[in-house]
Amino acid sequence: MKRLRLAFLAPSALLLATLFLAPLVIVAVYSLESRGAYGGVTPPFTLESYSRILDPLYLKILWRSFWVAGVSTLLCLLLGFPLALFISRSGPRRGLYLQLVMLPFWTSFLIRTYAWMFLLRDTGLINTALLATGLISEPLPLLYNDFAVILGLVYGFLPFMVLPLYTTLEKLDPALLEAAADLGAPPWPALARVTLPLCRPGILAGSILVFIPCLGAYLTPDLMGGGKSIMIGTLVQNQFTTSRDWPFGAALSFSLMALTLGLLYIVSKRSRGEDLL
Amino acid sequence: MHRRTFFFGGLAGLAGCRRSSQPRLNVYNWSNYIGPNTVAEFERQTGIRVRYGIFESSDELLAKALTGNCGWDVVFPTNHHVAPLRDYNLLAPLDHSRLPNLQNLASDFRAPEWDPQLQHSVPYMSTSAGIVYDRRQLGTLSRWADLWEAKVEGRMTMLDAQDDVLGACLVKLGHSWNSTAESELRAAQREAIRQKPLLRAYLNAEVRDQVVAGDVLAAQMWTTTMLPVMASAPQLDFVYPAEGFVRYAESAVVLRESPRQEAAHRFINFLLQPEIAAACVAAEKTGPVLAGVRELLPSELRDHPLLFPAPQDLARGVWLRTMPPSAQRLRDRLWTEIKSA
Repeated sequence: MKRLRLAFLAPSALLLATLFLAPLVIVAVYSLESRGAYGGVTPPFTLESYSRILDPLYLKILWRSFWVAGVSTLLCLLLGFPLALFISRSGPRRGLYLQLVMLPFWTSFLIRTYAWMFLLRDTGLINTALLATGLISEPLPLLYNDFAVILGLVYGFLPFMVLPLYTTLEKLDPALLEAAADLGAPPWPALARVTLPLCRPGILAGSILVFIPCLGAYLTPDLMGGGKSIMIGTLVQNQFTTSRDWPFGAALSFSLMALTLGLLYIVSKRSRGEDLL
Repeated sequence: MHRRTFFFGGLAGLAGCRRSSQPRLNVYNWSNYIGPNTVAEFERQTGIRVRYGIFESSDELLAKALTGNCGWDVVFPTNHHVAPLRDYNLLAPLDHSRLPNLQNLASDFRAPEWDPQLQHSVPYMSTSAGIVYDRRQLGTLSRWADLWEAKVEGRMTMLDAQDDVLGACLVKLGHSWNSTAESELRAAQREAIRQKPLLRAYLNAEVRDQVVAGDVLAAQMWTTTMLPVMASAPQLDFVYPAEGFVRYAESAVVLRESPRQEAAHRFINFLLQPEIAAACVAAEKTGPVLAGVRELLPSELRDHPLLFPAPQDLARGVWLRTMPPSAQRLRDRLWTEIKSA
């Protein structure tokens, strides 16, 4: 029996070891080497790449990334919670609504981002309509700013918030809310004092699922932000392309990973008993 | 032409190929950078099967080539990337006896500054970057300095590429486009930051639609990108700025690790025919490097200033150069500073 279990586990273990662990080790080694003249890495081993991260220039970029990811996560939560609550209380139509939430995944994220750009630009649908109705006389600057970046991130990652929230809300025992009502709690306090606290695991899981990809995002900040500001994901990408500074790029991604894992650890410590990691 | 060369070349190719009965060649080029029938014609004439791959940026090519064993035989780096590839010992020396069509190169490209003896590279296409702008809205623009004027505020873009932005700032200040001097580069960086409040975005080819639609009134842009739409947008004009501008030459090189040197040379020699080059130029609207191509082009392209700048304009063009590692590192940093300013 035990041997059988091992046999079934072996393929996925092998896959993880070769396709996940090995590249990680390579990145770790790269991050400790020196920069090749035109890319690549050369000996000797050094910690220089890591010490460079502490440069205020890069800390500023890191801070900005955390800020943008944080705002996007908060907005996803504010938008996602009512939506998840609505879906969980929609009876037989729940399946349909969930399908609709996941529908955007059927199209490439890149194409959807371009679609947003067509909506938001000066001669795009939104500005054209507003101009035609006379509500504005000059096109609104909707694209190539932080608003556009955060909009793109919220749009892209909202489903990752809604799904875990829905899962916890759906498991919520309606009897608890009935009990709250019986004890005299009107709907709003019941939501705040019963539903929300019980939803904590879903909120945490959703926030982590949104925050982490937002932090490392580079497609949306680049396309919707118009390359005017830089986030950590773009910085990492630049090190492997234009700058050809692989050790620094590797050190950046490794530090980002360590930081994220550290945050996850703290969050999971503080929410005892709720498995996050 | 040279049927015999092709015949014996074909035999050699066959002999050199152990696994497949049909010789094969792996060609890695920029996306949209060849005539629609060029590869098919080469296959028909030589019996060599071509696997044709494309990349979107020089960096993508360099990143792949530098890791070695990339499996490509002929690749097309931009001129300033030839030296890094050569220094890494990744390029095969070219055998000029197998490239008789080198004689077709225009005089400008026979001894280019990045490879004067054409030891490792052969020019393939050439392009440059300047300013495309809406003449009706902005009047006539002639200088990079015009992109620092209030009239372009919020309606102007620069390329999302550090060499181009720093280069434009450098020449605006009277320095060399390819400067490696720290003080000059820092001054250029300040100039770029000073421009940022006027800037809509740093955008590459994707800005084209917005220029045509009128969202963007002025953009630093490549000739190749703009040429196909210039005829349909009569309000647009293109200028090679007075302070100077940059030129690039895509070049064909053969990778040292390629086991198909013979076929690779034949492919490059094939591209060096004016008729073949003319078809590529007509399809991709990129400047030719061969003499005798201009005459073969359709009339609307033959005298197009985006393909054939006037001599007085061309005189201000400089070739993009390879940066020594220290200057490259400084430029990287300044670019990041510009971006996060």
